[in-house]
Amino acid sequence: MEYGKKFCKDKNMFNQLLTNGIVVGCAYVLVGLSFCIIYKTIKFFHFAHGVVYAAGAYLAYTFFILLKINPLISFFLSIVIAGLLGVSIDRFVYLPLRKHKTSNLVFLLASFGVFIFLQNLLQLIFGAQILTLKTGSIKEGHHFLGAIITDTQILIVISSIVLFFFTWLLIQKTKLGKAIRAVSDDPIGARVVGINSEKIIMIAFTIGSALAGVAGILISLETNIEPTMGMNAILKGIIASIIGGIGSIPGALFGGLFLGLAENLGIWQIQAGWKDAIAFVILILFLLLRPSGIMGVKTEKEKI
Amino acid sequence: MEYLIHILIISGIYVILTLSLNLIVGFTGLAALGHIAFACVGAYTSSLLALNLGVSPWIGLLIGAILASVLGAIVSFPSLRLKGDYLAIATFGLGVIVYSVAKNWVSFTRGPMGLPGIPSFKLLGYEINNVWAYLVLVLIFVVITYVVIRNITKSPFGRILTGIREDEIATKAMGKNVNKHKLIVFVVGAFFAGIAGSLYAHYITFIDPSSFTIMESIAVLLMVVFGGMASLGGSFIGAFLLVILPELLRFLGMPSSVAAPLRQMIYGLLLVILMIWRPQGLMGKYKFK
Repeated sequence: MEYGKKFCKDKNMFNQLLTNGIVVGCAYVLVGLSFCIIYKTIKFFHFAHGVVYAAGAYLAYTFFILLKINPLISFFLSIVIAGLLGVSIDRFVYLPLRKHKTSNLVFLLASFGVFIFLQNLLQLIFGAQILTLKTGSIKEGHHFLGAIITDTQILIVISSIVLFFFTWLLIQKTKLGKAIRAVSDDPIGARVVGINSEKIIMIAFTIGSALAGVAGILISLETNIEPTMGMNAILKGIIASIIGGIGSIPGALFGGLFLGLAENLGIWQIQAGWKDAIAFVILILFLLLRPSGIMGVKTEKEKI
Repeated sequence: MEYLIHILIISGIYVILTLSLNLIVGFTGLAALGHIAFACVGAYTSSLLALNLGVSPWIGLLIGAILASVLGAIVSFPSLRLKGDYLAIATFGLGVIVYSVAKNWVSFTRGPMGLPGIPSFKLLGYEINNVWAYLVLVLIFVVITYVVIRNITKSPFGRILTGIREDEIATKAMGKNVNKHKLIVFVVGAFFAGIAGSLYAHYITFIDPSSFTIMESIAVLLMVVFGGMASLGGSFIGAFLLVILPELLRFLGMPSSVAAPLRQMIYGLLLVILMIWRPQGLMGKYKFK
């Protein structure tokens, strides 16, 4: 009897961690997806993407909480501005670098610079304290197979599935998607057939950054807003992309869910503070043993 | 005056970090982003040995540096297979893992509460707790680091490192053991970074994981790039300027809630400007390929 009770409790615990893992995984999918679209066209780690994500959340906070604008309008405005922020980072920082034809490492370091600058700008404007988008009273979540899931969490899961589906359609089925894939596979070949790669890069930055803004807003509805939130998000987005196979849209889905589940099921046995360490151990194992990721193409290995 | 000496001591510690990272990044061309992790190992090792077992800080410094080298040897493994930005991300990850251990292994490192009351160095029965004496101690270590790294880079061994940086496959084709050289470079670099961490711990007498975040690693890398890749003189200039520059904000009478993010903003902006206009740094001859 005693044993049965304990088992039942453990099973509920497992279901809860599984649910949490899927919700967190969906959030990682969104960030990984937005990172992936940009990575496809520029082929370096756009680290400043994390601060675009954070900016999305802070803009929503400014419009919705500080200026008290209708939530839908304020979220729409924040997503548009996040998209513009991404494009401006590309125009002002990456474009001069592309003209110099520098290495990926220089791009990465410049991206770090942008990230540090903007993150601390956010901290300077809004302070280091934790802010929230939540209004109204806290509701108890729904019970589902012994686990508890809140409305916001359901929203995160559904939005990431919908956005994933639309992004996949965009990349695979439209002419624009074809152009993005062409720039991704062979930039010179794409130029030969008359694709303006600079224009495609700008479009990719707009879509990717807007998606990052969406992710930032959705996740800050569930958790809190703080200046350092972008770092965690971009790291998990990059790790999810590398696990799934960098530049692959289905890979971002798989990697995000895998990472979310691994982190949350990992803390079943270990303390919660070790989540980051678990994520990076997985990353390093993947980089060393299978750098092309699970769904990546083998030829990617040449570059690594 | 004491404040000025304090700044000099901190700059000296950063000079050691910058010189040792320049050996890895500038001279050998390996993009390592987790340099502060080695300092973290050095600092925690000598502090814990001194606090728990009463080991003399001198011996603690040596053991800390050796343990940092062991970590350096581990970090060198990714560098055998990965290059460029992928190596940067992997070493970044190792930096986060070390930080995570310092923060979460509470029973051993006391986690975010930190380690207070770390004893100072003792020499012939006198405690080195006065800033002047400590400045001399740090300067001695700066000179040792400089001499060792200068000799390494000016030797035939150093020319193989340049070879690895410029063309790894050609160096391999000349019959040089590239993997062994990468391993040694990481071990030596980590050794001195461990010394720097230990010097910091016994000077401030308090350490906690927040001194060893990934932002510090990026700051040290910025010092290397700013001063000049593969330039030892540049490393001195880079470390001094980037330690002193944010201190000037203090004289403008800014509260720390403004000065701290402003310091980081200056670092970020400087990194972007350097990458666009002068990726080899002030005195450097080599840029990232």
